[in-house]
Amino acid sequence: MTEAVFRETTAEPRTQAVPLSHLSLELGHLYMEDFEAGPEHLRRHFARVRPWAEAARAVAADRAGGRRARISTCFLIDDYFTRFASPAEVVPMLLEEAERAGLAVDYLARESACAVSGKVPVAEAVAARIVEEPPPGSYGNRPPAAQTGWLANGVRSPTARAPQAMRKVAAWEPPRETAARRHSVFLDVELWNETPDGERLWSCPFLAAVWQLARLGLLRHQGEAVFEPRPHTGAFPDEWDDLPPLVRLGERADPFAAYRTCSVLPSRFLPVEHAVRVILDQTDVDRDALRQVAERSAGEGVPVPGPVADRVSYVFCEET
Amino acid sequence: MPAPGAPPATAAPRTVLACGEVRTCLLPAGQALDSRAAAQLLRLRADERVLVSERPNLYGRSPDTLTGVDCPLPSANGARIRAVGTVAARAALTEGRVLQTSAYFTLPASGPDHRRPWGDYLVRPAVVEPLGKLPYDAVAAGLLDGGRHGDLDVGLIAGGLLTRLLRHPLLDQRPPLRSRQTRLRWVALTAPPGEAPALERFTVAEDELRTVRLRVPEDIPAADLAGLCDDLALHDWLLTTLVRVLDGIRLGPAAPGSWPRTSGDGELPPVVGALRPAVDHLLHLWMPRARVSGRLAPLWEALEERPGFTRQWLALVQRVRDQLTLHAIPPVHREVEPAP
Repeated sequence: MTEAVFRETTAEPRTQAVPLSHLSLELGHLYMEDFEAGPEHLRRHFARVRPWAEAARAVAADRAGGRRARISTCFLIDDYFTRFASPAEVVPMLLEEAERAGLAVDYLARESACAVSGKVPVAEAVAARIVEEPPPGSYGNRPPAAQTGWLANGVRSPTARAPQAMRKVAAWEPPRETAARRHSVFLDVELWNETPDGERLWSCPFLAAVWQLARLGLLRHQGEAVFEPRPHTGAFPDEWDDLPPLVRLGERADPFAAYRTCSVLPSRFLPVEHAVRVILDQTDVDRDALRQVAERSAGEGVPVPGPVADRVSYVFCEET
Repeated sequence: MPAPGAPPATAAPRTVLACGEVRTCLLPAGQALDSRAAAQLLRLRADERVLVSERPNLYGRSPDTLTGVDCPLPSANGARIRAVGTVAARAALTEGRVLQTSAYFTLPASGPDHRRPWGDYLVRPAVVEPLGKLPYDAVAAGLLDGGRHGDLDVGLIAGGLLTRLLRHPLLDQRPPLRSRQTRLRWVALTAPPGEAPALERFTVAEDELRTVRLRVPEDIPAADLAGLCDDLALHDWLLTTLVRVLDGIRLGPAAPGSWPRTSGDGELPPVVGALRPAVDHLLHLWMPRARVSGRLAPLWEALEERPGFTRQWLALVQRVRDQLTLHAIPPVHREVEPAP
C-alpha cells in the first residue's frame, strides 16, 4: 500500500523509546530501620548480596551470548512511608558501604517517585491499567467481587452475612486461586488505602510493582518516558524532595531500564514480591512500550518472555 | 514454560473470526463538545493520549481498555466452547455529538486445552482463545444471534463502557432531540487468500439491533474492522434518527395566523421546532468512510447500491430543507399550505 499523503499528528499515537540494558540488578531497598541500624548493618547487607549479584551477572552474560551484557545496578530508598535523615547523610554512607563490598550502585531511586514522579501520577496511572483476571464464568459482566483498592489472584470467599430469620447460616466457602493447580495459594493484595484526610496512600507491594515496570522500561505518560535518570552533580541535598526521582551515579553506567530484572533481597520481602507478581500479572502495560521492548530484545537475539511478570526474577537471601 | 530463546507461545494459530458490537447514541448534552472537552470525556486512562482528529471531521477516540473473560462462546449448534482472553473496548465521539462505544475481539482457530496464566492473555490484547478447536461457522452464527445467558456477551462490554461515559459530569443530560441508542453487532469470517474483503449481510432487526457479516482476509487488523463497523453504525444511526424525526412530525396546513409564523409565546411552529434540532445537530454529520481503512472502504459500495444509504440520507435532508423553506415563505405567496 502507498503511504498516506495526508497526516495528522494528534491522530497518530507516538511513544518514546527508552535505552535498554540486558539486566537491571537491584542491590536492595533501604528503610528507616535499616538506616537506624547503622553502617555495620549496611555493610553486612552488601556483603550478603555480593555473591548473588555476581551470580546474576554471570547468568545475564551467559544469556547475552558472545556480546557484552549491559547490566545496570540500582538501589531504592524509602522516602514515601517514612522520611528519615536526609540524602546528604544517607546516600554517601550507602555508597561507601556498597563500594566496600565491591558493588557499584549505578542508579539511586526514591520510593515516592513510584507514586508521583515529578508531576506524573505514575501509581494512579498504573492502577487504571489493572485488568482483573477473570474467574471462570466471566462473560463480560463486571467482576462481581471487585473490591476497591484490593486485587486478588482468584475468587474471594463469599462474605458472611448475618443470618436472616428462617434462613440457615451459609456454610463457609473457601477462596479459590484462579490459576490453581489442584490447591490454591490465594492472595488478596491491598493496593492502597485512604488517609483520614482522604488522600490515597499506596501500598508497598503496589509501589514495588510500579518500580518493576519502571525498571522494565514499560512506563509511559502520554507516550513520553517516565523515570528518566538525571546525572548526579555536586553534593547530595538536605531534603529528599530536592533529590531527583532517579539519579545516575555512575557516569558510564548502562541504561537504567532493561529487558529483565533481578532483585537481591532479604527473605522478608517474599510476601511483598508475591504480591508484586499478582499485580504485574493483571496489569495491561503500554502496548507500544511492550512492542518496542519485544522487537529490540528479539533483534539482539535475547527475546523477552511475553508475560511481564516472567521478566522479573529474585534472589532471596538471608537476613543480615 | 518456553525455554529462553524459544519463540514466544504467541506465534499462535491463525485468526479465523473477529467479532464486535457498537453502541451509538446522541451525546446527552445541550451543546456539542469542543475538541478539548471531547478529549476529557474520552480520557479513559490518565497516562494514554486520546486520539484527536480534525480532518475530514472532528473526531476523538479513547485508548482501548480491556475486559477479561472466561466463559462459553455462543454457538448456533449448542456446542459449549469455553474461551479465555480479553475483549478490547473503546469510545469515540464524532463532531462532539455522536457517542459510540465499540467492543471487539478475535478468535484463533484453536487453543490449548487448559487455561494459561493470565499474563499470557494480557500481552495479546483483544484475543479470546478457545480451549480446543473452534467450530467457527457455528460460533459466528451464534455470536450474531446472541447467546444464552452466561455466554460471552460483547454487547455487555460495549454497553458498560457507554453507561460509564453517559454519567460523565461534562454532560448536562439535556439532548437537543429525542433519539434512541442503536446496537450493531458484527462478525468477520476469514476469506480465502487472494479474495477481496466483502460485506456479506447487513440486517436491520428489531429493537434497534443491526447485524453485519463480513468476510475479510486474515491480515486485516480487528481494530480496522471495528473502525469500519463504527462507521456503518454511525451512519445507520443517523438515518434511523432522521427518519424518526420526520416520522414524528405533523405536516400539512399550519394554524392560520399572522406572519412571521410564530405562536403567541414566541415559539416556532411545530414543524420548524421539530426539524430545527436536526439541522443544528445532525445534517452535517454525514460522511461515510471518513476513517475507514483503505482496504475496507470499498465495502460501503454494497450498501450504497442497495438500499442506498446516501441516497436515502440525501432525500431526507432535502425533505427537511423543503419543509423549512416552505415555512420561510409568507402565506400570501403560497397557493397551498406545506404538505408532504
